[in-house]
Amino acid sequence: MSKGSNIVHLLGSATGSVRDNLATTVVTALTVGFSLAILAQFLFVFINLDAAVSTWGDRTHIVVYIKDTAMRGPGSIERIKGASLAVPGIKSVAYISKDDAYAELKAGMKGHEAVLAGVDAGALPASIELRLDPEYMEGAKAAGVVERFKKMDWAEEVQYSQEWVEKFAAFLRFFEVAAFGAGIFLVGVTVFIVSNTVRLTVYARQDEIEIMSLVGATDNYIKLPFFVEGVLQGLIGGLLAVFIIYAGRWALLSRMPVYLRFVVDVPVSWTMAVAAVFAFGIVLGAAGSLLSTSRFLKSC
Amino acid sequence: MKGSRPVFPDYRGRPRLPALRRAQSVMIQLFHVYKTFEGAGTALHDVTLKVAKGEFVFITGPSGAGKSTLLNIMFGSEAPTGGQLIIDGRNYIKIPRSDVPYLRRRIGFVFQDFKLLHDKTVFDNVALALRVMGVETGELKKRVARALSYVRLQHRANFKVETLSGGEQQRVAIARAVVKEPAIILADEPTGNLDPHLSLETIELFKEVNNKGTTVVVATHDQGLIDRFAKRAIVLEQGRVVSG
Repeated sequence: MSKGSNIVHLLGSATGSVRDNLATTVVTALTVGFSLAILAQFLFVFINLDAAVSTWGDRTHIVVYIKDTAMRGPGSIERIKGASLAVPGIKSVAYISKDDAYAELKAGMKGHEAVLAGVDAGALPASIELRLDPEYMEGAKAAGVVERFKKMDWAEEVQYSQEWVEKFAAFLRFFEVAAFGAGIFLVGVTVFIVSNTVRLTVYARQDEIEIMSLVGATDNYIKLPFFVEGVLQGLIGGLLAVFIIYAGRWALLSRMPVYLRFVVDVPVSWTMAVAAVFAFGIVLGAAGSLLSTSRFLKSC
Repeated sequence: MKGSRPVFPDYRGRPRLPALRRAQSVMIQLFHVYKTFEGAGTALHDVTLKVAKGEFVFITGPSGAGKSTLLNIMFGSEAPTGGQLIIDGRNYIKIPRSDVPYLRRRIGFVFQDFKLLHDKTVFDNVALALRVMGVETGELKKRVARALSYVRLQHRANFKVETLSGGEQQRVAIARAVVKEPAIILADEPTGNLDPHLSLETIELFKEVNNKGTTVVVATHDQGLIDRFAKRAIVLEQGRVVSG
């Protein structure tokens, strides 16, 4: 048989087999589809929450109010910023002048400006805002940093929400471990469900496989139609998963508070997300078929 | 060299012996073959036998004598526990698993339960044996038509197997075995599910195949058939060859 007619026969045999075993094909495709949709949505939520957690982390900072006396003399601000950056654990330093502090307060009191009547811009202290490296957000290390700033001769007062940082750091650690565990579990469950569903379809056709083997078919000849079928089922499952994700978002978004909608956002471009879902669906279908047929042929 | 004859080395470089040339007229050879199933005892005990090229042989004996096991070993679907097995000049014991399909293409096996794909057509069932060998479509159609005409089923080519009678299904199985023009046909109780008339017809078909040079081995417990066709019969009892 020429290669061309071999391929035509192979594709014909695979599509014919999909048609003949429509019920099992539909069940496999549905399993792949729902499993992929759940897994993909979990990954989206994980990536979104991880990004949000990082953003919140960036907002955690130490405020050091500067003594007025320390501000006298040229280059004093640069000296304070330099000394601050030299402290281990400090990621960045931002200087807030007295005028900036006043403008910020004013902006925050919009509509109640009368309260600020008579308050001079110079009444508020200048400060620096320090952001910590993530590994310094843990309680003892952060407290050490705060203590060093308290001892600086130019520091008037140090404000640091220690409790919040500790809770945040603990949450971050828990979230990472829990999400990693849940992710591994979900991938394992998806692979298990899909490979078992595919195995059922292979076992449902064990007579056919046995007969092919008895009339002299090589293992690869037997595996190929199942492989093509697995790819087709993976493709259909991928298509279904994209539909479920899209429909799920559409149904959820209108019922979700605006500030929570970011959780279900697709964190990458839709094209990339769809391509990834399809690719994983194809890999699941093909690998499931190959593993199941190989295991079955070994027992023949 | 005086008195020397040209000798050609075998695959290990050793000179071929005249005995081997004689052996090449033998299609199936078993030397002290044993087969033991765990928990079920010995199915074959020290079986040594030869079947010549182009011979028609019956293997007979009561149920449980080891007839099916013997055929399965000849077909390569069961491995013997001990002994040597040479089929068509190749030592089956040393053949890697990946070569088994190529050897099966040289052997047509007719099963007692036919082993047909019931939801496929007669044509598809017979064509399967050629498709797995990579036979080109035009050639495949010609050979399937020839095999079906040989078993007188050409008019049923497009019928699904499940719509055929037992006798017709048996003939489809025979057509599938002969379509690949094998060197050997093994048939395990091919008349076990057939009435006496169809049984005779089936053995006649095997005789026709045999007349074209194919070695045929038929396992049966039907003494009437053996008497009628007057061919060599190897008798097995409790896994041992007792005559033939």
